[in-house]
Amino acid sequence: MQKRGFFFSDVANLFNHFWNPMLTTVIAGVLSALYFGVTGTSWAVTGEFTRFAGHLFPIIGIDPHSLTYIDKVMKLEGGPFDRIDGWVVIGMFSGALFSALLGGNFKLRVPKQRRRLVQGFFGGIIAGFGARLAMGCNLGAFFTGIPQFSFHTWLFMLGMAGGTYIGVKVALHPVLLGKPKLEKAVPAHRSLESKKSSKSSLQPILGMVVVVFSLALIAWQIATGHAKLALAGLFGIAFGLLIERGQICFTSAFRDLWITGRATMAKALAIGIIAATICTAVIISLGVPQKITWAGPGALIGGILFGIGIVIAGGCETGWMYRAMEGQIQFVIVGIGNIVGAGLLAWGWDHWGLFNLMVKEWPKVNLVESWGWSGALLGTTGFMLLWYIFSDYWEKRVRYVTQKSGQIVLMHGEVERR
Amino acid sequence: MGNPKEIRPTMTLNLEGEPCPYPVVYSLSSMDQLKSGEILEVIADCPQSFKAVPEEALRAGYILICEPVVDGPTIRFYIMKP
Repeated sequence: MQKRGFFFSDVANLFNHFWNPMLTTVIAGVLSALYFGVTGTSWAVTGEFTRFAGHLFPIIGIDPHSLTYIDKVMKLEGGPFDRIDGWVVIGMFSGALFSALLGGNFKLRVPKQRRRLVQGFFGGIIAGFGARLAMGCNLGAFFTGIPQFSFHTWLFMLGMAGGTYIGVKVALHPVLLGKPKLEKAVPAHRSLESKKSSKSSLQPILGMVVVVFSLALIAWQIATGHAKLALAGLFGIAFGLLIERGQICFTSAFRDLWITGRATMAKALAIGIIAATICTAVIISLGVPQKITWAGPGALIGGILFGIGIVIAGGCETGWMYRAMEGQIQFVIVGIGNIVGAGLLAWGWDHWGLFNLMVKEWPKVNLVESWGWSGALLGTTGFMLLWYIFSDYWEKRVRYVTQKSGQIVLMHGEVERR
Repeated sequence: MGNPKEIRPTMTLNLEGEPCPYPVVYSLSSMDQLKSGEILEVIADCPQSFKAVPEEALRAGYILICEPVVDGPTIRFYIMKP
């Protein structure tokens, strides 16, 4: 019995704090390669959001199967419960939810400035549109895309780096920045003792209920002969748990570099992607076909739009998922925006000629075919190491600076010597 | 670890509900308006800011005068301008 007590207190301790982002990202990277091995598809979410948009198209009188993107590219069939991508999304929601609850970190959070909600919606639309133009978000075209050795992900990453810089300029523009309520402090006594996720609260119990419910759902899938869907759900739960506990915010990897010079997430992602690359290479060499898509202006411009959108919205497609589960209302709206944006792209693919204009003529570049195995592995890990070194250098040189006029600007260099 | 019994902040910045990157941006901009020796109290509930706000305050050359005070999903920081 005593042993059991130890086990439970160990588990409780795990949820008392947020996990080291680099370690968590590396674990997510290794798991994402395993997920690819098990399901034959990479960890991604926006494809499924596009199918959600497909389910909603009939409401505005459009047959989703008349759209090439939804019918042929995303292969819309059945409902989320019939699809691997659907189960990974459901798993992520439940994993993030019980992680937030077990940590006592759930709280309905509504921004005081209503402009944040508008921002979230439009940022979400731009990000959803850009992601699908590039055939994937921070996951499919970046975190799990780079390890597939598809060159379009390099274009997407460069686009995202530039797009987030523009996004920072927009998000910190006085119109969106707004004014914080800086007040004279009330001279009353304040308790300076931390109350670690109040043990008496209902949240950990609700968290356990979500754990049991999700596992029951998985067991039911296995029992009815859908082992693959069940596995996708299990991986989803692990991914949701990891991104919430590690607060893995892909948006901040670039945004923070441009605002304060903070490189915590940039460095974590660089190492996480290297781990994912090595493990994914093993899976590919065992014979699982790679996911390669068009390396053209669609990937680059999609990356730029995506970068702008995620900074304005405050989070990307994975970011809104765990934040919505923590009770952050703004990110429910970002999610709705994402689905609308993905739907717009699906419409524009045919009707605005986006496919012919930006995608069709461009080659699908597979780095393993172009550079051979050693070239592809060295090139990809080298690219990520360069990004790590750049971020580390940048972090040491750049600090946040407020201008006298209240305008926020970037300041480069010369900080150390002051 | 031991926090002092009493802190008298000069200004309070309540950022409950504010998402990233605004907690860090607001905190650092507010610190700019404080005079040497004055203390800013920041109240935040954006989980990312739990680490980002104190670490960025330190990087900007300010002093955290005590451990962040956690109250369930909400956190308070006390930052002094040296």
